[in-house]
Amino acid sequence: MKICQISDTHFGSESDFNRKLLYSLLDRINNSGFSLLIHSGDVTQSGRKDEYIEARRFFKKIKIPHIVIPGNHDARNGGLKLFEDHIGPVNGYKEIDDGIIIYVNSAIADSDEGRVGMVKFDLIKDILQKYTDAGLKVVLIHHHIIPIPMAGRERNVLSNAGDILDLLIKGDVDLVLSGHRHYPNVHKVENTLFVNAGTTSSVKTRYGDVNSYNVIEIGDREQSFTTVRVDGRKSERKYSRKRNRVFYDFGSKIFRVAHLSNTFISNDRSFLRKHFKNAIMTINRLEPDLIVHCGGIVREGITQDYELAVRLFSTVDGPILFTPAGRDLNYLGYHLFPKYMDSFDQKYKTEDVVFQGVSSSQYDSPVGIVGDTQRKALFKKLHESSEGIKAIFLHHNLIPIPHSREKGLLEDSGDLLREVVDAEIDLVLTGTSSHPYAAKVGKTVIVNANSTSSVYQRSVMGNSFNLIDIYEDALAVYEVNSLWGSRRLLGIWNRNG
Amino acid sequence: MLNGELPKMYDLDQPIRNFVSKRLIEIESYRTVQEAAKKMVEFNISSLAVVEEGSIIGFITDGDIKRKVVAEGLDPGISVEEIMIEELITEDIDITVQEALDTMTKKNIKHLLVTEGTDVVGIVTLTDLLDIKRHSLDTYISRE
Repeated sequence: MKICQISDTHFGSESDFNRKLLYSLLDRINNSGFSLLIHSGDVTQSGRKDEYIEARRFFKKIKIPHIVIPGNHDARNGGLKLFEDHIGPVNGYKEIDDGIIIYVNSAIADSDEGRVGMVKFDLIKDILQKYTDAGLKVVLIHHHIIPIPMAGRERNVLSNAGDILDLLIKGDVDLVLSGHRHYPNVHKVENTLFVNAGTTSSVKTRYGDVNSYNVIEIGDREQSFTTVRVDGRKSERKYSRKRNRVFYDFGSKIFRVAHLSNTFISNDRSFLRKHFKNAIMTINRLEPDLIVHCGGIVREGITQDYELAVRLFSTVDGPILFTPAGRDLNYLGYHLFPKYMDSFDQKYKTEDVVFQGVSSSQYDSPVGIVGDTQRKALFKKLHESSEGIKAIFLHHNLIPIPHSREKGLLEDSGDLLREVVDAEIDLVLTGTSSHPYAAKVGKTVIVNANSTSSVYQRSVMGNSFNLIDIYEDALAVYEVNSLWGSRRLLGIWNRNG
Repeated sequence: MLNGELPKMYDLDQPIRNFVSKRLIEIESYRTVQEAAKKMVEFNISSLAVVEEGSIIGFITDGDIKRKVVAEGLDPGISVEEIMIEELITEDIDITVQEALDTMTKKNIKHLLVTEGTDVVGIVTLTDLLDIKRHSLDTYISRE
């Protein structure tokens, strides 16, 4: 099957919309052997009636089956009603060959934010359930789920992006098509391809890029994704459709890491001292080669909390690295962290592994950012390191985390994620949102930790930390209950596949 | 509860696909029972697929080790092949939770190998199915 994906056309006035360009693509769309055209939202600039009338005229000239969904611009000025009147339903599904395409509206009236509320969430879940054995499962949604590079500040991600991500991965969706950020991109998360389109005809392109559309070809064994830019340049990525699920041989164990976060050490009742002490006892018993704390060490950046933290962490056997969260830097934390916990960007290096921390937190702010300069320095340090396992750790999230409203994402998560995946970094450890989660993006396993010892945690299993075992051929991640030491497998991934 | 009905624990009609552990840890048939037990402890799991030249030829659970080796006073140095279950009980990844539970009850087992097409792609245990409610897929974000 060959799909053409256009997006963010922004029908409107000449100052926003390149009409001539879009109409010039009609012949290519109709005569290139596409079985389907997808428009992934922002059909119009302002959701106005005249814009919808022109868009409808355009879609009448499309001679192949097409599915069009609304974006945030289409929901402006009461535009969603007009969308239904002139374009079609905003939610639904369509059978195609032995596959199913589910489309949902993620736009909120007069807002650039996105949301898939419970009703639409259940719609996706129910259709995936009904078509569980479909040969191809595609989901179409305007707002991106995985952060996009070259898109400036990460914003307007779906508020429940983590839940949607988990639903789509567990439902074995093959392909997720989005638009919104006007920059083409693709990431493979577990076995699902998340494809973003650039803008096909808006004048608002990013970083001097030109307008583009995507061509997605789906075969039995392989999927290819090509961005066709209107100046003729093409960029293509290919992905296997083979699902790696069964493991034979792990090889020998190379390294074991205990990964904790949000201990919130203080004399306050929100710090669960018993949970912390038991977690440290379990960690010592598990004999990890390294312990990594991804921030939220103390409840506030004050002397008494740091002094208590130093005392409590003195019972840890083995090397331990820290990276700060915003709360660790508050008050005098900016001075206390380096005094008590050592440098901001800590590092552990042996012949086999390098773990490099990168401070993503800011003084008195929950918002995270790495920034261009620090990101370049980070990869320079990693590339200078010896061959072996490469890992990065930071406080903020690189991918959305389930069971949380998405606000822990790094501002420049799209840029860092793209570089991490392209550099084939083995492991990324994060510690926001207090929910344990692990997923493989490209060849990189990204792991988030729950709160180890604070009442503010989101795992139904209770407070926990993660245990990560790295083998020659596999990487296994477990969630370990802080209080009881019981563990459950979050996932195992083949390191070479 | 308000209308007098029992609360619904979870939707038994949903496919097991969402809850199958799509990871299956295996052991070669010539390995010893002790090695199998060590592997179960290492990965905190209760069963292993037994393979020979890349193909699954059997299945072994912690219960088999308890019943067939420890309780009988046998040497844990015997091979996995000697105590494995050769009759593989498999179900398709698209069956419902209810169907999986029915099979487990009828066959008196706690583990099901899961297939997709002709390939074994994972495993589902009774604990996985009972844990479904705790691992609900969604958060209460908003109704709309």
